[in-house]
Amino acid sequence: MLFNSFSFLGCFAALAVLYYAVPHRFRWPLLLATSLIFYATFSAAYLVLLLVITLVTYRAGLALGATADPRRTRVLLATSVAAVLGALVVFKYYDFLAGTLEGGLATVGAGGSGPLFPRLGLVVAAGLSFYTFSCVSYLVDVSAGRLPPERHLGHFALYVAFFPKLLAGPIERARPFLTQLLQPVSFSADGVTQGLQLMLWGLFKKVVLADRLAIFVDTAYGQAAFSSPADLVLATYFFAFQLYCDFSGYSDMAIGAAKVLGIDLMENFRRPYFSTSVPEFWTRRWHLSLAGWFRDYLYVPLGGSRRSRLRLYANVLAVFLVSGLWHGASWTFVVWGGLNGLYQVCSLATRGMRERVCAAVRLPGGLGGLLRGLLTFHLILVTWIFFRAASLADATTIVSRVTASLATLPRLLQVRIANPEILFSIGLIAVLLCVEAFDERRSVWERLADRPVYLRWGVYYAVLGSLIVLGTWNLQQFVYMGF
Amino acid sequence: MPRRQETGGARAWLRSAVRFVLVGLLVYVGLYVASEALVARHAQRNRFFMVNTAPSSDYDYVILGASHAATFDYRDMNARLEAMTGSSILNLSIEGAGITVNRFVLDYFLGNHRTGTVVYVVDSFSFYSREWNDARLQDTALYQRAPFDPALGWQLLRRPATFSVALDYLSGFSKINNSGRFAPDLFDAETSRFDRSYRPVPQIDRQRIAYLYPPGIDESRLRDNPYLAELEALIRDLQARAIRVLIIRPPIPRRMYDMIPGEPEFDATLEALVARHGVTYHDFASVNNEEALFFDSDHLNQDGVLQFFENHLRKVLIDGRGE
Repeated sequence: MLFNSFSFLGCFAALAVLYYAVPHRFRWPLLLATSLIFYATFSAAYLVLLLVITLVTYRAGLALGATADPRRTRVLLATSVAAVLGALVVFKYYDFLAGTLEGGLATVGAGGSGPLFPRLGLVVAAGLSFYTFSCVSYLVDVSAGRLPPERHLGHFALYVAFFPKLLAGPIERARPFLTQLLQPVSFSADGVTQGLQLMLWGLFKKVVLADRLAIFVDTAYGQAAFSSPADLVLATYFFAFQLYCDFSGYSDMAIGAAKVLGIDLMENFRRPYFSTSVPEFWTRRWHLSLAGWFRDYLYVPLGGSRRSRLRLYANVLAVFLVSGLWHGASWTFVVWGGLNGLYQVCSLATRGMRERVCAAVRLPGGLGGLLRGLLTFHLILVTWIFFRAASLADATTIVSRVTASLATLPRLLQVRIANPEILFSIGLIAVLLCVEAFDERRSVWERLADRPVYLRWGVYYAVLGSLIVLGTWNLQQFVYMGF
Repeated sequence: MPRRQETGGARAWLRSAVRFVLVGLLVYVGLYVASEALVARHAQRNRFFMVNTAPSSDYDYVILGASHAATFDYRDMNARLEAMTGSSILNLSIEGAGITVNRFVLDYFLGNHRTGTVVYVVDSFSFYSREWNDARLQDTALYQRAPFDPALGWQLLRRPATFSVALDYLSGFSKINNSGRFAPDLFDAETSRFDRSYRPVPQIDRQRIAYLYPPGIDESRLRDNPYLAELEALIRDLQARAIRVLIIRPPIPRRMYDMIPGEPEFDATLEALVARHGVTYHDFASVNNEEALFFDSDHLNQDGVLQFFENHLRKVLIDGRGE
């Protein structure tokens, strides 16, 4: 049951009514049951895996909370994290690792004629990468004494399985979530309105923008060797916005749905394409819950910036390579992560020099910011080629075909952009960027709250109308659900 | 006191929400009316639209089938066939449609119209898979250009399999959401490829066969085949209503015929079926089938259709009227 389906929207409306109709003590069971049913609609078989990981984490949390012995804590933590991440490795990475290992052995002449390792052929359980990370963060926080272990199994299970965030985040931390479960929620008109606004905007981004752009992107990237270079360039630009609208649309819907139910989830995106540097993009604007997770549970334990300069660069690279692998068991994601890590290292290494250049060349008004923003966007754009391409061979084909036709590209693009469908898609992207430019200073919804009702409702009807008239309702899965 | 305020706040919000929904419904009705107007303006080939706006209530022939029969209605082909045969003909064939879809459209037609003869243009692929039958009937794109008609809504509602399609049709959602709302309602091939001649490419031919026969071709599927049973039921029902049935196998390049396993078995099964019911059967699979007469791997181009009309179908339809 996808967020962008009528069945979800209908069921969610019914749940919200029921949620506020029942007393507080019945709400967590209602949410838990709903979450498990919601998950079962994707993969009933993997519901068992979700429940097992939940139980293992719950029991390990209790054991970690009960011991004061640092050595026992370390052993317990290592065992439980290994168990949780082990499931992730088996389901997501085993076949990839086996193939890579066999390839490596074959290169040195040690491989046999057939496969050395049996293939499992497992389909990645929906949301596995997200909920395992939630569990790991809980275990680490409990072991570090930052969080008392949750004794209520139902509350803990709801933390792991809460349906708005279960499949693609945000990767919520346990403390704020579990604290909210204890507080009785009463109906808040403002809260519900804000939640619905977020859901509406998220749905707009997914159905009107992302899925429309996806048609063009899929066609061009699906036959990278045959698509024209102009189409490949356009598809890469479109993919940048498709991915953003798809994932931030999902996050908006998740945060909005939770807010309707009186639960606050963490922010996941802050208009990332307005970043003026790659570090800003990754630390303050894109997929914040994952960036925060890697900062707190990988980068800091590795030593962060507290060690030597060289160690700092190694840590940054390591975090981005792991982040790349987290997205998928493929070399394209490793290269994508590596490229972003390289950008970060270059950014750190050249900071002083860049500051001196900026001080020397004073550009008028916001021109400097605009140029930095455009440069950042295009650096990120190059990495999206590897993120989207089906294989490294496809990615290199795209890069080589585009670079080989750079001289004729402006003319080709001019012709291609004249296509009404492409022009319309570009227009929609412009609308999105305009709204986000307003949002940079103050949220559009906040601005609207002060306005007369006819204006507010006019905007709601315009967004709803565009969903109905322009939306692509082909039940396309959210991109990040595949991770 | 705070509890009372809270309840009051919720009530005020609910009242406001109800007003919002009511105004929204009015806006939706406006969109619905606008999309109906667009259907009336741009619809052309949609078969429900054609039935709904048919100039006559009585036709000598109604043609049913899939895309191979649809080519008989490309451009002015149907008008030419009418002129050649002196008959009134309504072509209700639909691309990718099997017997389930054909039967559904015919039932809709027979609700308010009459015909003397139904010409069924048979393709084997449509009898092997639910893809071209039940699943195709649930394709909302079929109804995007169908004008609002309670009779069609009721016909969809009555079948459990098409219940959700009925809701979509009655609410007009797919019609309002139709991204091709301003485009002319013509078949893709009709506008771009109908004049061309196809140069065979084995890989394309294989892809085409894989597309037409999704689960693979298995002659054992001809035993207790539900779609052949549906064809038999259609023949019986039409005969009971004193409507004649003509079954035709359209021309197909020999190359393609040979690539489809099980075609002779299908032909034998079909011949036995029509013989049981005394239905006239014309097998044109191996005539008019030179490569130059097709615009792709298996569809007749304009010259191919005209030659087929002139040399074969004209006589069948003229003779059919005289029977």
